[in-house]
Amino acid sequence: MEILRIEGLTKIFGSGHLEVRALEGINLSVSEGDLVALLGPSGSGKTTLLLCISLILDPTEGKIVFDGQTIFQKNGWGGVDIRRIRREKIGFIFQAHNLIPFLTVRQNVLFPLSLVGLRGEKAERRVKELLEYMEIADRADYLPALISGGEQQRVAVARALANNAKLILADEPTASLDTTRGMRVMEWLKKIAKENRSAVIVVTHDVRMIEGFDYVYQLKDGRIIGERTNSTLH
Amino acid sequence: MDLAVYDLKLHRGRFMATVIGVGLLFTIVLAMNGLYRGNIYEGLALINITNPDLWVVERYRGGPFNEQSTLPEFYHYSVKAIPGVEKASPFIYYAVERPISGKSRHFSIIGYDVFSGLGGPQKIYAGMKIEQAHYEMVAHPKLGVRLGDRVPLGLHTYTVVGLTREAVSSDGQPLVYLSLPDAQEVLYQKDNEEVRNKRERLLRTLSGQGNLSPYQSEKLLPQLQSDTHIINAILVRLKPGVNRVDVARGIEKWLYLSAFSTEEELQLMLKGRLASMTKQLLLFRTLLLIISVIIASLVIYTFTIEKIQSIAVMKLIGAPNWVIIRMVMEQSLLLTIGAFLFGLALIHNTYQLFPRTLLIAPGDDLITFIVAFAGGILASILGLWQALKTQPAMALGGQ
Repeated sequence: MEILRIEGLTKIFGSGHLEVRALEGINLSVSEGDLVALLGPSGSGKTTLLLCISLILDPTEGKIVFDGQTIFQKNGWGGVDIRRIRREKIGFIFQAHNLIPFLTVRQNVLFPLSLVGLRGEKAERRVKELLEYMEIADRADYLPALISGGEQQRVAVARALANNAKLILADEPTASLDTTRGMRVMEWLKKIAKENRSAVIVVTHDVRMIEGFDYVYQLKDGRIIGERTNSTLH
Repeated sequence: MDLAVYDLKLHRGRFMATVIGVGLLFTIVLAMNGLYRGNIYEGLALINITNPDLWVVERYRGGPFNEQSTLPEFYHYSVKAIPGVEKASPFIYYAVERPISGKSRHFSIIGYDVFSGLGGPQKIYAGMKIEQAHYEMVAHPKLGVRLGDRVPLGLHTYTVVGLTREAVSSDGQPLVYLSLPDAQEVLYQKDNEEVRNKRERLLRTLSGQGNLSPYQSEKLLPQLQSDTHIINAILVRLKPGVNRVDVARGIEKWLYLSAFSTEEELQLMLKGRLASMTKQLLLFRTLLLIISVIIASLVIYTFTIEKIQSIAVMKLIGAPNWVIIRMVMEQSLLLTIGAFLFGLALIHNTYQLFPRTLLIAPGDDLITFIVAFAGGILASILGLWQALKTQPAMALGGQ
């Protein structure tokens, strides 16, 4: 089932001689269980595309269809509660982990659950499940500052999975980790795509990390210049 | 999930230090409230306690407390002769600084006719009222004396026969009650050496004119000595059913004096001596409240700025604005309410230690709390503005 479809997405910053075309006619389709990589050098438009997919940056042109619902087209977001879509259907993983520093590991995972109204025993059970799944249950009562970078990233993954997100967006999730830990996080993401049937889009510039991905889109100057599927990857 | 509390738990040291800091400011605000009330209370206490039907003072003077008034002592006989007056009693009040128990003390002396009953202390909590014409005193314990102590004042020594704490002078100094002649003596009686010197000077002046013989000069001398039978006011008690205004107009018309009711005396003080200090205190506490709110606001702003990245993450993962508003506002209110409670506890446990009377009124505490609460909400506005304009894109490295 298709989770995300992007048609002719264009993003222009500024106007006149200051105009910058950050994205130009991007087309993309992601289905459940897909593991997608967006590759490209700095300034290629990866982050801009991610911001548009995250529903926090208004595209200049194009169409975004999310989970069967057209949420952006010519006339803007069309009254869609985009924050609600983000909290219920999208999970985020960041380069700098971005855990909330004053919440413990357990509370960080509990937070998105509390946003959708899941509380009490049910929420605690879900948190325990996720922490055990990410093999970090023994760190449940630690503050993020007291655990390693790799562990923090696993907590971030657990948080992203908390609400059974249909789409996981990961922005350079391995950039602050060494190769071994980075590879491990990627393995987790593959596992999530396979077991949870979530679509996973990973923005990275590290080609070593994308082995086993279903789709790889290469960006340059705001355009997709290359598209490979698993069968064409080597 | 109470984000504000979790954040404060992590930064509890800094939060407590801020609560104490802002709390000390609130302590000063509450102390100023007490001082404000205390200033009015002290300024009016003696008038309220003395409470005669009329205060008769020198013409066109607002005395005896708001302004100096000087009258010859015998005037009280004239006042007594005005129709409607039941009792007219001389009264003297002045501030002095004298050594008491080896320490220089500033206090106010009240001299009154101990047998007429007007002008004396109303409530003696230890000992008794003055019952003899001389050498007895009733004092406020703030003077540092105890019952039975013998206190030298001027040429004589006075025994403390009673203690009262019902009033202090308008500037917060302890009161000492003496009989009228004793008070006049303490105030006007010169040192023996000074008396001798003055006599000699007068004699030489009179003899030097050439019109008077030494004998005549000697005879004239007592008339020229300074008069010690001076009073500041006459306290009047009216006969039952007499119109106070009529008697006051009679005194003013026939004796060329001024007469005020106790209510008018209170107003004279409130609009006169007490007015500028009262305004000053009001201004101080207003300024301090504003400063407290500004400091709380800056602290909350700093707390919020430190969490900007987390706020961006919260917004990105879909937290509604109320979650962020609640977090910032709750911290602001916890800070201001915590600081207020700290200030309140501190002032309620220390107000007795202040040199001036602090009259802590629950109404004032409540009003200050309401202002602090509103200030807490106000203080969060700067932080809220910053939090709400934070873009979720910041969490992904965007702007």
